[in-house]
Order: sequence, then C-alpha cells, then structure tokens
Amino acid sequence: MKETTTYLAPRSLNEAVEAMAAGDVTVFCGGTDLTPQTDSGVKQYGTKLMNIRRIEGLSGVADNGDTIRIGAATTVTDVRHNPLIAKAAPILAEAAERFASDQIRNAASVGGNICNASPAGDMINPLLVLDAAVELASWADGTVQTRSVPLEQFFVGPRKSVKKPEELLTAVVFKKPASDFVGKFRKSGPRPALEISTVSVGIGGNLSNGVFRNVRVAMGSVAPTPLRARNVEAALEGRPLNADSISAAVAAAAIDAKPIDDVRASAWYREHLVKVFTEEVLSHVHGN
Amino acid sequence: MSMETEINFTLNGRPVSVRVPVTMKTLTMLREVLGLTGTKYACGEGECGACTIKVDGRTLNSCLMHAVDCDGREVVTIEGLKTPEGMNPMQKSFVEHGAVQCGFCMPGMIMQADYLAENNPNLTREEAQRGLEGNLCRCTGYTKVLDAVESAVEKKCCGRC
Amino acid sequence: MDQKVTASNIEKTSLIGQRVKKPDAPDKATGKTRYINDMVLPQMLIGKVLFAGRPHAQIVSIDTSAAEKLPGVHAVLTGKDATGLKFGFVRDNVALKDKVRCEHDEIAAVAAETEEIALRAIDLIKVEYEDLPGVFTPEDGAKEDAPLIHDNFPGNKSLHFEFKHGDVAEAEAASDFIVDNVFRPHHVTHCCMGTSCAIADFDNNGKLTIWTQTQYPYNYKMDLAPALGLQPGDIRVIQPPIGGAFGSKLDVYPYEPIAALLARKTGRPVKVIYSREEEFKASPTRQPAIIHMRTGCTRDGTLTFRTADVLLDNGAYTSWGPTIPVIMMRTVSGHYRVPAVDFKAQAIYTNNPYAGSFRGYGNVQTTYATAQQMDMLADMVDMDPLEFHLKNSQRSGEITPQKSFLRECALVECLETAAEASDYSRKRKAYALERDQPGRYKKGIGLASSIHNAGGAKIHKSDGIGTILKVDDYARVTVITGASEIGQGIDAVITLIVSEELGVPLEHVTIVNNDSDIAPWDVGVHASRTTFIAGNGVRRAAQKAKAQILKAAEKQLGEPAETLELRGGSVVRDLCGTPLIKLDRLLRQMHFQAEPELVMVTDYYEPKSEPEGAKHISDHSAAYSHAVHIAEITVDTLTGEIKVDKITSAQDVGRVINRMGLEAQIEGGIAIGLGYALSENMLLEKGLLKNPCFRDYKLITAPEMPPLDLHFIESNCAEGPYGAKGVSELPTIVIAPAIANALYNATGVRIFNPPLSPEKVARAICEHRQRGK
Repeated sequence: MKETTTYLAPRSLNEAVEAMAAGDVTVFCGGTDLTPQTDSGVKQYGTKLMNIRRIEGLSGVADNGDTIRIGAATTVTDVRHNPLIAKAAPILAEAAERFASDQIRNAASVGGNICNASPAGDMINPLLVLDAAVELASWADGTVQTRSVPLEQFFVGPRKSVKKPEELLTAVVFKKPASDFVGKFRKSGPRPALEISTVSVGIGGNLSNGVFRNVRVAMGSVAPTPLRARNVEAALEGRPLNADSISAAVAAAAIDAKPIDDVRASAWYREHLVKVFTEEVLSHVHGN
Repeated sequence: MSMETEINFTLNGRPVSVRVPVTMKTLTMLREVLGLTGTKYACGEGECGACTIKVDGRTLNSCLMHAVDCDGREVVTIEGLKTPEGMNPMQKSFVEHGAVQCGFCMPGMIMQADYLAENNPNLTREEAQRGLEGNLCRCTGYTKVLDAVESAVEKKCCGRC
Repeated sequence: MDQKVTASNIEKTSLIGQRVKKPDAPDKATGKTRYINDMVLPQMLIGKVLFAGRPHAQIVSIDTSAAEKLPGVHAVLTGKDATGLKFGFVRDNVALKDKVRCEHDEIAAVAAETEEIALRAIDLIKVEYEDLPGVFTPEDGAKEDAPLIHDNFPGNKSLHFEFKHGDVAEAEAASDFIVDNVFRPHHVTHCCMGTSCAIADFDNNGKLTIWTQTQYPYNYKMDLAPALGLQPGDIRVIQPPIGGAFGSKLDVYPYEPIAALLARKTGRPVKVIYSREEEFKASPTRQPAIIHMRTGCTRDGTLTFRTADVLLDNGAYTSWGPTIPVIMMRTVSGHYRVPAVDFKAQAIYTNNPYAGSFRGYGNVQTTYATAQQMDMLADMVDMDPLEFHLKNSQRSGEITPQKSFLRECALVECLETAAEASDYSRKRKAYALERDQPGRYKKGIGLASSIHNAGGAKIHKSDGIGTILKVDDYARVTVITGASEIGQGIDAVITLIVSEELGVPLEHVTIVNNDSDIAPWDVGVHASRTTFIAGNGVRRAAQKAKAQILKAAEKQLGEPAETLELRGGSVVRDLCGTPLIKLDRLLRQMHFQAEPELVMVTDYYEPKSEPEGAKHISDHSAAYSHAVHIAEITVDTLTGEIKVDKITSAQDVGRVINRMGLEAQIEGGIAIGLGYALSENMLLEKGLLKNPCFRDYKLITAPEMPPLDLHFIESNCAEGPYGAKGVSELPTIVIAPAIANALYNATGVRIFNPPLSPEKVARAICEHRQRGK
C-alpha cells in the first residue's frame, strides 16, 4: 500500500490540471463513490489526493444560449432543483430525483457520477438521451488544453472510460432540446430512490405531428457500459409513435440489452424490465 | 497510510484546528480525533445515514466525506443541534413522540429531519418520507419518526426558533 | 367456554395505558448516549479477526510471525490458543478454529494499538488451506455420502424434535380437502444499526469484566465461561446502551471470547468491533427452513389435521437457530383448533452461516406456512377466509394439543376487529373478481393470524426475575432489576409502574439494570416476556414498598393503612384524595425515628408456567396471545413490485401499559416483518455471502412504510401485570403471510419461498399467465 503524501485543493483549473500532469493524483469531489471503493480495496489512492470542489467555475449550471453546460462539481441536488434544467431538460431532473438519497445527492457531483463509469450511473442515462458531450481538460505546453468527447464514446467498459489519468472532466454540455422534445426516464425498484438501478431506460426525441425523430434511447445496467440502444432508436426513428412502433421498439430492446446475472437481478429479469420500461416510457410519451 | 495535514473549520459554531491524515473520513475525525461520538458508524458506505452531518447548510454522509474537505467549511453535528436551553424542537419532538428506541440511527435521522424542516416550512409527511429515504432504522418502522417530524413542522419548529 | 372479553373487569388505574416517554430518549436524541461502540478505555487495544473467507477447509499451516513483529501489535492468537475451549449448546463451537466450517470462521485474532495496525497485522498472517467439498443445503447434508462437517456429529445431524397428537391417518381419511406444499423460508439477518462489539478486561485476580451487547446477562456468564476456561462466577457482565438486538444478542458469539482471550493475553482492555461487512458475514441469521406442510379440512371448513416435516439448515454451528422447532410445533399444533398433528424437525449441519434467535423465533417461518394454508383451504371450500378462521378459532379456556392453556383468548375479537376495520370481506371478493381482468396494477387484500407465547417461555429452569427496590430519604426510587433495556422501552414501563404504585413522578425513578454484579437474576430479553415478567416483578416490589410505607403512615397519622394511598408525592386519603403528609417527609421520619427503618425491598417473581420438557407437552408460557394482520397491496404485474398500501393490525395485548411504547413495538415489528416479506435476503453462493451491505441487502426504508391501522384488544390477562401480555414478536410473525395471501388475492399467484421480491413475483406471474394460456 502506498502512502498518500500530498493533499491538493486547487482554486483554479490551471493549478489542478498542471498537478495532474505530474501523475499519480486521485481526484475527488463529493467522495460518494471514491470512499467505498478505496475502503473495499477496489481502488487505491495515489500519492496525491486532489479535491476539485474549490476550483473556480467547476460548479453550476450555465445557460450558454444554444447549449447548457453543467460544471463537473455541480451536485445532484443542484441539478434536481435547477430551474433551467427543469424547464429545458426535465428528464435530467427526473433522474436526479431518483438518485440515491438526499445526503448523497447533496455531496455527489455530476462529473463524479460520469467518471465513475458505472453501467448503473443514474446521471449518465438522461445525459446520453440528451446527446451530451464531456469536456476533458489537461495540461500541455504550459497551458490548459481541452477536448470534447461525446458521452456515448466516453465509456469503454465497467468503470473504464477514454479519460486519461492526467485529464480532468470539467463539464458536461448538451444542446438545449427543441420545444417539441419529449423525454422520460424510468428506473427500477420499489424504493423511490436509494437503489442501484437494476435497469434504467431513458428515451427522448422530437415528437411533432405524431412522428418521432432524432430518437435517442439509453439503457443502464444491461451491458458493461451505459448503452445507447441503437436498435430501439432505429425502430422508432421517423415513424409515427403508435402501438406498432412501440411494439417494434420493445422487440428491439431485447436485442440491444445484453444483461447478465448478478446479485441484483437475473439476466432474464433485466431483459424483461427493459421491455416493460421501453413500452411504459414510450406509452407515457405517446400519451402526453 | 497517509500524511497528516492541518485543517481549520467551524464545528458546531466554534472554530477548530486539527491535524488529520489526508485520507481520513470526516466520520472518523469526528469520533476518534474530536471525540464527538454522537455521529454514528453503521455502514460506512452512505446507505444508512447514521453518520449524517450538516456541512455548509446541507446534510451529507460523513462516512463518505474526506475530513480534509471540511477545511474552511461550517460543520454541524448532532451535538451542535442542542440549543443553550436544551434540546432543539426536532429533538424534543422525537422524544415526545416515542420515535427513539435503541436510538443508534437517531442522531443521523434527526439531523436529516431537522434539515428537511429547515428547508421546507410546509414539509408534508410524504415529503418527509422521501427526505428520510437515506436513513435506515431497524427499530421504529419510521412511523413515530414521521409523526415527530410532522408535529415539529406543524409547530413551525424549524430548529432555529 | 366462549367467554367474551370485556373491559369491565379491568383494574382502574391512572397511569396505566397512558403515553410515557422513554427515559433514555433525550440523551439518545442529542448524541450524548455513550453506546458500547463509542466506548474507549484507558490502555485499550483494538482486536481484529481474520476470517476464513471459504466455506470448508482444513488449515494446513498458519504463519503469524510477520504480524507479531509489526510495531504496535500486542497479541496474535490462533486456534491453538483456544484448544479445548468448546462452547455452545452442544459444545460444537470454539472462539478460534482449527478447521474451517463456514465463511466467517475465525482463524486468527490480533490486538494492536490502533485499528489500522490491527488490520495490517491481519493482512500479514499467512494461512495455507486445503479446501474440502462443502455442503450447502440440508438435503445435501443429509445424504449418506455427504462430507462430514463435525467429526462427532454423524450424518451431519444436529437437533431433532417430534410431536404427535391424535390420529393423523384417520383425520386425513376424514378430510375432504388437503393442501400439501413445501415452504422455504430464507436466510435473513438482524441488521442491528450498532454493529457487534465487546470490550473485555481482566483484573489481577483473574476476574473478567466484559462490556457487551448481550440481552441475557446471567446465562451469558454460563455460556461464555467454557469458551475461556473460566467459572461463570468470575465473569462480570456490563451492558452499555446498544444499537439494537432483536434476538441477535441471545447467545455467545466468537468475537466475545476472542476479545476476552486477547485481553487475557495482553493484560489490557481489548475492544472487538465489527464493520458492517463483518456484521453481515459473522453475526447470526434467522433460521432458514424447508417446511413440508399438509393441512386438511372437511367440506364445512373444519380443520382435521396438520403435519409438518421440517428440515433446518443448521449452518456450521449450533446456536438458537436449530432450537426453533420448540416454537414451530406450538404454531403447527396450536394455530387454530387442529385435532390431529404430526410434527417432525431435523436440523442438518451445512457449511452455511448459522442462525441465532430472531424476533419471531421459528414462528415467522411456520406462520408463513400455516397462514397461507388456511387461506388456501378457505378457497377450496369456497368460504370467506374470515369465516374459515372464525370457524376454527379457539376461545378462552381452551387447551391446545401441547397443553398451552389459552386462559384469555381474543383471537375471535382480533379477527373481527381487523376484518371490520379494513372492510376485508368485501374487498377480497371485489379484488378476486378483478384478478383475471386486463390491467397492469392489481389490488389485493390478505389476512393472516398467529399465536405466540406472551408470558415468557419456560425453556430454562427458571423464567423468573429478581427485583430490588429502594426509596430514599428524598422519595427517589431506585429499581435494580435483571431486566435489560436494549432499546425496546422496558425502562419506561418500569418507571410507569413505579409511578403508578408509589405515586411519585416518573422522573423520580432510577433504574439500574446493566451490571450483573449488581442486578439480580433475569433470564433475558426474549420470548416477548420482559414487560410481562419484569412488569410483574417491579409491581410486586413496589407494592411491598407501598405496604411498608403505608404501615408507617398509619403509625404516624393514626389512620388505618387501608384507607391511605400514595399519590402525587404524598400520602393521601384514598377516598377523597386529601394529602396528609409528603412522602419524602414520611420517609425521613421513618428513617430517623427511634426504631429506624429504610424502605428497601426485594422480590423474586417466577411465572406460573411449566417447564417445556422433553415431550413438549406443557403450559410453557404464563400467557398466549394472538395477532391478526390484514395487508392491502397493489401489485405491478409487469415489474412484480408490491406496494403495501396499508396494514391493519389487531393484537391481543392483554392490557395497554405504555401506549406509546406498545405502538412503537408493533410498528417496528411490522417493519422487520415487511423486510422479511418483501426485500431482505442473504444471497449465499456455496456458503459465501454475496450481498454483505445495505446496498444489496435491502431493509425497508421510510418511503416504503405503509400507513398502519393498529387495534389493541385488551383481554385482561389474569397473570399479567395489570392484565398485560407480551407483544413484541407477533407483529413480525404475521406480516409476510398476510402479504402472500394478498398477492394471491391480487394475482392468483402463490410464492412459497420468501421474500416476495419483484423479480420472483414477476416471474411467477409470467409463468402463471403462460399456464393460463
């Protein structure tokens, strides 16, 4: 076990990413994922521990005209209660509503939930539906470099992403959905929240004159990474939303989902729920 | 293993300065370094809420929070809810309504209930149920807990009056 | 026989039945209470345990040298330090093992300056194992070629129980309907919020003081002694406040002798405290069982017989778990009038975790079976289950086949009250008609009842309690009693009774009940007995003190003692209430007079119950009680999620003592029952626990708690204090079958292996619909 010898609490992004360039930095914000993982030995602390909460500009929801930018350190509680999100992207507020508990929502950051790269991450699902991209900052040539990665391409395996160790996820950005955008998030479990999703399904798209376009469907906990359900999307794209297309989407959901058995549920139940939720969410969208 | 660092913060209204290992959890600091044993360990992974404290006006699980993150912040524990006159109204309400049995989860439960009432003067029973979803209790079945919260809210007792 | 319970013969009292606050609540609500988990003693070391982490293995070698060399480590112990120190009912357990029989077997233990050092030392211990084939179900364990878990228990056979009554073959032949099912109640665990903890310290006379969470301090000494090679008399048990027990602290578990062995080795106090993961893996469970039950009835709905063939998964060692047939058979034979009974139970050792006692002790498991079969038979004879239950209900004065004397029986009142309050019969019919109609969400209502001992259970030689009561010169009362406060609220009951009898304010009563060197004998907090037994004890002691005080008052005041009463801190004329002398003044006069006297009385109360006995034919409790629960649920037939909309409960409580405490016991009992019914489940894979955390072992949370409609039936128990009966276990017992019956009403589906988890329900509904097609 190596010793953690340095604690960093940078005030600026420059400071933070410069320190990260030197390597072996463990980043935390709310600590809600990191702490249980280091306690159980799933993850080891680096020699340096960096708290990113104090970095200026890393927290908050910003209206940038066409886009909405959520700073990585923004808490889930802030997302849950943000008026801009409630208006422009209610699907995200819905997911925040069903995220863990009050105490965890108050500490957990949106960036942390993404970086943790769990297939069950409840912030990830609606952000995939919103076609969000993440901003990754790093230090090169004496300055901060940023790159943008579509969220869909961010995840490469359970708890694995394309983010390099020296990169800091600074924000997640998505286009403001058009006024005809409809979306819905559904997560399993008899509890309203405080439940690791056995299955989650998020669906969104532009619905005008009964026709569904730019359909994006995300699924959680049915594959090694959070998933865009391409077959479901294809079954719906450009078609009128009706009993036929919904039933085609449900059939496609079973193709997209590649669930496994684990302590929370069997593969059978996950596939069953994915179909139930796909139908339910689409019926809801259709009904409204 | 980790190095120690000094942090300064406000604890229950008083400034404190303390040296802590950088990977220590706030819960451990409170209990073992500062001797405030009112905040309880019951799961260590944010699922039970027994370690709930308030930091900068918001409740969180102190078992998940690094102690170093207290630096410069305002921390309130169950010991800090007591007013000079004795128990605060939420604490009184819990006692009066029989919401305390073994009591082990109660410091966290009361911290969270007080926070909910403080932030929502019209808190309904259903909202309190939702707001307490992160606090497990094995004794009470939550019924008397919710009675206590409801009554404290009806009396407009936010915990500050 | 059919004696209607009325309120007219209930004693007139002032405080009994009121709402009284718990004296321990203010310190608990402010974080001031020092739980055992919070305690730190000077020089105290921290003990940590190395668990095997495998289900069945020989230990080839253990190398502790690196751990011993680590600075800050004071002792490292292994199996050889506990050789011969067998403990447990059948002496099959030992604090540190020389062979691995289950995942949490304690292989080595370390005492160190800090927890961090102790954990590092544990990591440095090298153990070489030779894994053995394991046994993970009692069926497999009972097979002839099954691997043997204990050399001295051939066939892996642990405890065995039998009870027979009447002629089952004849009764079966006379039956028009028979239900025959196999129920498989599962592994769950107590999940006390305060994890297991013990602090041990030896003095230089070799006497051990142990601060522990035990809920049975006196027999605890007897049970702990052999694990340490001590005399029970050389053990002092101190019980600081604890974070819950629910039956889990009713035996000695290895961490306790480990703390003591480490303390003896180091000469310093040693505290062993579990993490939540350790708690999940190493603390006892509720006893799982395989219950093959058959029940018959005639066409008119009269029960004819009941048989139960029970196989218990003993786990690796024998604690209270495999003794539950003692209560299981009372339910099988006494849950409604059953003319012929055949009960058999065999416990089989496996390499699974082992069970202790858990609120509802055996009755949770059997009632899950009996109460569903009652519902099934009612369906077969096409009778409203309420009517079916009423038809077979016992009445006051009846005696069950095992000779449980139901002196005051309020089962009929419980059934009628709960059914009426919930509009049961109408809703059940309406929901059944809806069952096969289209629609995703289905409503259901289910009724279940049970019987349980409510005046202790004489499974030890004594079920009694000692009480010492003194009243000092300031009229402050101290009660020294064996009855432990484990959060359940006995302190409030005791203050209430003292206040009732001696007319002193509640705040003027102090209770000492946490030190075995001070407090007298009590058999422990179990069997729903403490209010009943300790309540009687303290009432009798208080009445003795009162008699002494009134006799002195007669002398002082010249008025006959029979005309005097103690009220409001004074001696008063009973008829008009006129105060004559302040109690404290009288007490000082008694003390400082020429022939001085102090008020200090003792009492030993032994309930009028009979020892259980080897044949199990005895009136083993001083009272029996019934409870009826009616569950109303909504089932999402697609996801399988059950939402409990309401629980109506009617329970025979004998008499309400502390109304607030009574409600709290029933509400809390229901919550534990709901978790058992719906979500709690220890997922074991070849003996290894896969979900040792609250993330995946799901307790009921606040939003899942349904509204409760509680009804207390006061049957006025002649032997109980003021008429009261014990209450705490029945609410946990009755809930799961009520929900299972509601699920049937809603969907036509029955599930015999709880919990009724969403996945299980969804799958059962899918299969049911497939069959329907």
